[in-house]
Order: sequence, then C-alpha cells, then structure tokens
Amino acid sequence: MKKLYGNKAVITTLILPGILVFMFAIFLPICMSVYYGFTEYSGMGTAKFIGLDNYKEILHDGAFGKSLFNSLLLALGFIFIQHPLAIITAAVLDKLEGKAESFFRCVLFLPNVISVAVIAYLWKFIYNPDFGLLNNILHAFGQKESVNFFSTENAIWAVLVVLVWHGFGWGMLIYYTGIKNIDPVLYEAAAIDGSNTFQTFFKITLPLMKPVIQINVTMAIISALKQMETVYLLTGGGPGNSTQFAANYLYQQAFKAFKYGYGNALGVIFIVICLISTVLLNTIFRKKKEA
Amino acid sequence: MGSKIAGKKHSPAGKIIVWVVLSIMAVIQIFPLVWLVDFSLASSNEMFTSGLLVMPKKIQWGNYAKAFVDGHFLLYLKNSIIINGLAVLLVLIISIMAAFAVHRMRWKLSGFVKTLLLLGMMIPIHATLLPNYKLYNTLNITDTCWALLIPYVAFSLPQALYLMTGFLDSVPIELEEAAVMDGCGIYRIVFQVVIPLLKPSIATVSIMTFLNNWNEFMMARTYLSSPKWKTLPFSVLEFTGQYSSNYAVQFAVMALTAAPAVIVYIILNKHITKGVAMGAVKG
Amino acid sequence: MRKKLIATMMAAVMTAGLITGCGSDGGKTTSGGGSSSKGGNETITLKLFSNLPDRKNGQGLVEQKIIDEYMEANKNIKIEVEALDEEAYKTKFKAYAMDDMPDVVSIWGQPSFLDEVLAAGTLAELNESDYSDYKFVEGSLEGFKKNGSLYGLPRNTDIAVFYYNEKMFNDNGWTVPETYDDLLSLSDKINDAGITPVAMDGGDGWPMAIYLTDLAFRIEGPAVADKINEAVAKGDFTDEVFSDATSLLVKSAKAGLFQKGYDSQDYGTAMNLFTNGQAAMFYMGTWESSMATNEDIPKDIRENIRVFVMPSVSGGTAKNTDLAAWNGGGYAVSQGCQNKEEAIKFLNYMYQPDKLSKYGWENGVGLSAQDQTSYTTGNETELQKQIMSLLTNATSMSGTPINDCGPSAFKTVIESEIQNVSNGTTSIDDFLLTIGKSCQ
Repeated sequence: MKKLYGNKAVITTLILPGILVFMFAIFLPICMSVYYGFTEYSGMGTAKFIGLDNYKEILHDGAFGKSLFNSLLLALGFIFIQHPLAIITAAVLDKLEGKAESFFRCVLFLPNVISVAVIAYLWKFIYNPDFGLLNNILHAFGQKESVNFFSTENAIWAVLVVLVWHGFGWGMLIYYTGIKNIDPVLYEAAAIDGSNTFQTFFKITLPLMKPVIQINVTMAIISALKQMETVYLLTGGGPGNSTQFAANYLYQQAFKAFKYGYGNALGVIFIVICLISTVLLNTIFRKKKEA
Repeated sequence: MGSKIAGKKHSPAGKIIVWVVLSIMAVIQIFPLVWLVDFSLASSNEMFTSGLLVMPKKIQWGNYAKAFVDGHFLLYLKNSIIINGLAVLLVLIISIMAAFAVHRMRWKLSGFVKTLLLLGMMIPIHATLLPNYKLYNTLNITDTCWALLIPYVAFSLPQALYLMTGFLDSVPIELEEAAVMDGCGIYRIVFQVVIPLLKPSIATVSIMTFLNNWNEFMMARTYLSSPKWKTLPFSVLEFTGQYSSNYAVQFAVMALTAAPAVIVYIILNKHITKGVAMGAVKG
Repeated sequence: MRKKLIATMMAAVMTAGLITGCGSDGGKTTSGGGSSSKGGNETITLKLFSNLPDRKNGQGLVEQKIIDEYMEANKNIKIEVEALDEEAYKTKFKAYAMDDMPDVVSIWGQPSFLDEVLAAGTLAELNESDYSDYKFVEGSLEGFKKNGSLYGLPRNTDIAVFYYNEKMFNDNGWTVPETYDDLLSLSDKINDAGITPVAMDGGDGWPMAIYLTDLAFRIEGPAVADKINEAVAKGDFTDEVFSDATSLLVKSAKAGLFQKGYDSQDYGTAMNLFTNGQAAMFYMGTWESSMATNEDIPKDIRENIRVFVMPSVSGGTAKNTDLAAWNGGGYAVSQGCQNKEEAIKFLNYMYQPDKLSKYGWENGVGLSAQDQTSYTTGNETELQKQIMSLLTNATSMSGTPINDCGPSAFKTVIESEIQNVSNGTTSIDDFLLTIGKSCQ
C-alpha cells in the first residue's frame, strides 16, 4: 500500500498535466510580463531595456491610482450594499417552501447566467437618457430633466449598480445555503427564550453566518480588483478616467497607446496587489477566528 | 422581515412581508429582462416612448430573424458549447488526477505543489492577456480553439482542484484499500473507484467551470479573429457595429444570445443552484 | 437523475469535440491558406481586416461589393473579412501588429496611427508610379508616405460637417447659422422646443477633437495646421488659439449644444438620436452621408438630411468656404504577409478609379480621395450634391484633426482629457498642460 502510494512515476503522471497547464498558462505569461515590464516596447519592432523606468512612471500615474481607488469603492459597494441586501433576502427566502421558494430562488439568480456582454449593453440602454428604462421610470415619478447616469460624477455609481444587480443572485444563494445549514434547534431554543424575529436574526443567524460572510467579503474584494469586462463595454473607463479599473487600463495602455512594455509593468503590479490583498484578507480572518 | 417561527406558523403579517420583500427583489432582478424582450419585438422608432414598456403595433419577428442569421447564432452557439464542454472535461480530468496526487499520494513536495497550483486563484486573469497574446502568436495558435481552451482550463483549474481535494476527504480510504487488496493499480483506483464516488462534486465543478467560462469574451475578443471559433458573446459584440442604426435588432440579438443559458438554467435550476451553493460554500 | 445527466453531458461533449475536430489541427485549416491542396489551382486566401462592420450599408457595402466582384473574377482567390468598429479595430490592429498581420488592412494616414506602424516596418511599400493614372486628388497621398516612399492609399476625403434635419428646421422656422454665435442662439431655441440641438459622439473622444480642430481652424485660418504641429513637437499648447478654441467648446457644451450625456455616448447612440428625429443636428464626417439612402432610417428623416460646415467664429480669420478637410482612412498591405503580390494586386484592383471611388459615389458614401466629378449623373441624393458643392466651392482645404497629429500616447490622452475639459471636470489650462505633457 505504502509503496503503491509513493510510486514516483505514478505521481508524476498524475500531477504533470496540472503542472504543465499552470506553467504554460499562468507562470510563463507572468515571467513574460516581468520581462517586458522592464522594457520600452510598442508591441512592434524590438523591445528596449529601460530598467525600472516603467515602475517609476506607475508611481506618478494618476489614472492607475484612480483605478485602484475605484476598485476600493466597488468593494465597499459590494460589502455595504449588495451583501446586506443579499443576506436579508436570503433570510426572507428561508421562510418560504415548495414551489414559491424555488420560483423566487430561480428568478433572483437568473441575471447571473446571462453573459456580461448582454448585461453591459442592456444596461447601456437602460441608462440611455433618451429612451432608457431608468429615465422613463424617473419621468413617471414626475422628474422632468433626464438624468445623465454616465456623467463624470455618476458613472462609477452607474457601474456599481450594474455589478451589484448582476452579482446579487450569487451572493444571495451562498447566504441562503449558509442559513439553511444552521441547526433549526437553535431557532426553537431562541423562540422558547422569547426572542423576536430581529433578535433571532442578529443573535443567531448573523453570528453563525460569520464564516460565510468572511468568504463572501474576500470574494467581493477580489472581484472588485479584477473587474474589467463590464466596464470595458459599459463605459470604456470614461468619461475621462472616472470609471477606470486596473485590468482595463493596462489593456488600453498596451493595445491602444502602443505602450506594451508599460502595460506589462502595470500587469505585474496588478498581480502583486491581488496576491497581497488575498494573503492579507486570509490572515485577518484567520486571526479573528483564533481570537 | 418575517420570523422563522412566524413563517412556519403562517402568521398573515409575517407572510405578507415575506412576499412583499421577495416580490420587490424579484421585480428588480427580472424587469430589465422583460424590458429587453419587449423592445426586441418592437420597431426601432417605437422605442422613443415615455412609457416603461411599448405595445408594438406589429410584433417584429423579423428582428429575431436578422439576429439569428446575421449574428451567426448557430455557429457561435456550437463553438461555445464545444469549447466550454471541452474545457469542463479537461478541468475535471486534470483536477481529479492532481487532487489525488497531492491529497492521497505520499511525496515530499505535495504540499508545495498544491499551494503553487492554488495560487492561480489569486492571479487576475486579465493581467495575462498581454503576454498570452504574444505567446500564442509566437506559437501560431491565435485564432484556434486552443487559444481559448488553454486559459479557460488554466483559470478554472485552481478552484476545481480546491473543491476536489475537499471532496476527496469524504471518500472513505477503506474503499481504496480494498481495491488495492484486489490488486488494482493507482490509475484504476482513480478512474474506477474514486471518480464514481465523486459524482456530486463533479457536477459542482462542471457547473462552476461552465458558468465561469460560458460568458467570457475578453480573451475571445483578443485571441480570435475569424468566425470559425468565435463564441456566443460575439453575436452581441459584432452586432452593435453592424446594426448601429437599428436598435430593435440589437435588442433581439441580446435576447437571443441570453436565451440558451436562461433556458438551460430554468430546466436545470435545482442542480445548478445546488452546485453553485456547494462550490461556493466549500470554496 | 443527476448521474445520468452528467454522463450524457460528458458523452455529448466528447462526441462533439471529436466530430468537429477541435483536435490537433483545429482552426489551422483556415489560416494555412490552402497549403494542403496540391499544385495547380491552388486557392489563395487573403485576409482583409476592415474598420467597416456594417456590410449592408455605406462604405462597408461598397467594400464588400468589390470583394465579391474580385472573387468572382479570380476564382483562385478567397478573401476573408474581419470587420470591427473603429475603436475596436485600432485596438486589435495594434495587437495584430506584434505578429501575424492580416494581408490587407484599413489604416489612417495620420501620425498618431502611422508613425509607430511604419517605424516597425509593418506595412509593405507601394510603387507610387503605379498610381499615376488613378486620379488621386493632389496631396492626398502625402499622409501615407515616409521618407518619400508610399505605404498606403487614401480611401476618403473627409470633411467634418453638421448634418441637419431640414424639414425639422423649416417646420420650426430655424435657419442655418452663419456664425458660431448664431449656432449657439439656435441651440437655445432648439432646446426650448424640447429637442436636442446637436448629437455628439463624445464617448469616443475623437469627434470632439475634430470639433476642437474645426473651431481652431475657424479662429486661426489654414495657418493653424502649422501651429498644431509646432505645439505637438514642443509639447506646448500655450498658444492662444488652443485656449480660445477649447473655451468655445466648453462654453458650447455648457450651453447645452450637445445632448445630455454626450461625453459618454458612443457613435451609434449619437447617430440614432439624429436619425430618429430626437436631435436636430449631428456633427460627424462626410463619410456618413450614406444616411440619406439607409433603409433603416425613417424615410421622412433620411430624405431631409442636409449639411453645413462649422460656422465662422467672430474675430476668426477663416472664411466659411475654407474647409477643414483631410484624407484619413485608407488601405495598406502588410509587409510580412505570405501573399504580398496577390494582396497588392487586390489593393490596386480596389483603387481602380471605377471601383472604390465610383461605387462610393453611386452609393453616396461621401467623398473619395480620387477625382469623382465624372461620375455625376444627376440622380444623386440632395445631400450628396450638397457635399460635392462644398468641395468644389472650397477656397482652401487643410486640417488633420488635432488628436491625429501627435504620437498615439498623445491621442489617447487628448481623447480622454477632452471629455473632462468639455464637461468641466478639469480647467482649460490643466487640459492644455496635460495634453502638452503627453507629447514627449
């Protein structure tokens, strides 16, 4: 038995495909990014080695700073808007059973299965000042002027709304599962103690959901950092750079402004930021668990 | 918010609140889609109304005909199914093998390799767009299905591996021991003993992988150029240019592109939500 | 139940994969250019990468028509088209530029686009003397040259114009503005009537940059071209003409000349405002004159589209007949492609005066860079006649848009910063400073 499970040849064949995929699709590109990050390269012709110049430029790059700030804003939006709504909806959904429950669960999750390409264009139309759904709703409530949802001040919120709407079902479903896993005995005990609905929710549901909440918060922050596709189609990062995000920005720099080298340097910094945030979040939550 | 107890006892007040809250959320989630379908059946100049929905004078099925033909709907749908299907298959095979290797097999570096492979979860997929484009160009695989398959598999693999190692815990080692007694080799153990036991997890990983990649278009847009392997989101992406002066057809193509996923979701609703929930809570 | 489902799914996928052959050489069959067929009647595949995604209207239709004719006449040639709209096109072009450029490509004869492309040796050199009897308008090839060698051919002569809805103007008693002040007071009147004065594609940045150039041209006259080049070379935009033109743009935006949210709306959205009668005017290049024949646009609108050029600015030196025109878009053949000879043959075929230029005229898609006077039949749309007369009455022509006069980093910055300055997010001074910095 021991010998069988320690067979080097077998281990190699089992793990090799995974390692190869990792090396080829993740590790190698990152190495290339590191290399090109040290060069001035338009993407055509030859790359010129310029040392740390690209990284020095990043330090003064307002648009990149803005994109990180936007990620932070988005993460906060997820945590303080999407997740509370999702938890409450999940807690309410838990009260239903049978057909009604499965109907609502289905409907609430539905936007999640639709392609970002469709969602982004759909919301572009929804926000349209001339015939868009939102302005028509506002008009129905007596608002005279059309609102420009993509103005410099509003655009980031407009993006946030789309992302909160699109990802709502995912968060809700996870919380819902978390709530379902709570032992009903605890609720019965609380009822015997005379707790009302709110007390039960805050004293039992929320504390027991802590691990689930932690996972979701981590995911929210990471997905806020990684945001690209919705913004790419919805606003392209504009107006100005007001809805810029890191991934979109490095793409623009490389393929639009002929700064492939600089784009790669941005990519390296971007990867480092993602790694650090993940490790940091995990450490924080682990410490809390121990405390 | 209704109370658990109140709900169970069917107190009318609690029940009303439950229904009101859920209905509001449901309307918010679903109305934009209703709006989409409604406008897709109107003609372009009927859209400039002040009402929330339009009553098309004549239902414009022609919009869908245009969307179906000029959006290369069938070709792109077929491509999407093939590429995503293959990605799921590869992810499953590779992740099960790797999970078994790092979790069950005994070797010094197993912990390190596992961490290394899981690291992929933290790498932002779009940061690899630039180097990968160059890499695939050098290897002459841009504009082939490999240009999508490789990254799709690579970025679904860490999560799949994570889930699979978790699920492997629940597979009783005694069964494997019995198989060893019978003289099975490791490969037979993996493919004949373990895989059948992992079926629920396989469903979860399949669903997660499928959902992650089905809607992806950034890489597809960067790496593909000819229609041969273009995936479903391209129907929408290409249409905004082609039919820039005809909104209704744009709406039709959006509804049409969304349809396959929605239909499959409604049919498999229970399995999908269960799979997602299982994957997300574990992951 | 689930087990069966998964099993069926997997089986289906596997068979699908096998059948379609996503195996070893999937996809390569198209790119190989028929290398598999033996000798004799070998099919040559040319890839055309185009910035005209709408293949059923306007220039895309003309381009497709020539391609179809060429394939009909040359059975051994197969032309594959990949078409993206302009912004996506330019992004993808740069991605392609790293390797593996398609054979025939759309290009722009402007420094912002061509400088880096030529520096990298991406495009094939053309023999200028081949085109002596192609009737190219004098000077139109200049933008496509480097050190005296020719690398591309222009497709259009572009003039930025205000398209307007004549019927709407007449019904409301509005008149075509003579001066820029007239335009602004007209704008107030139109706004009062609850209609958007000018539909502007501000989301893309470049139309506003053209607008800015147009204004600067009206202020400074044809001499502005030199001033722009000098400013780009020095990275210094402190010259008065730039601040004057910018402040005029800012003032207009503030006064509500453009639609609400113009700074985030794309080409199609802006154009649809106009073609659906929601806006009285639309600021765009003459290449959109095929709107007059586009069946997707309601009849009573498309038949009433007329144009006027940027009205004169008080204190400005340019006359209304001085046109800010340029030869922007065109085609080139890539240097590295396998079938260069065939690609150039096809390029030359497209530019035979009775192809691109004539078909373009017949379809009313604006002005080509070749002499079109002999194609006049009298059956042209009113819009087309009007544009032709603009051109024939022009007293001077010059004016590459400012965003295209510098390196692509400059272009990227000005196209995003012009949104910020027009909507008041940044001050005019900061705007000029920022775009100056990006020139280095």
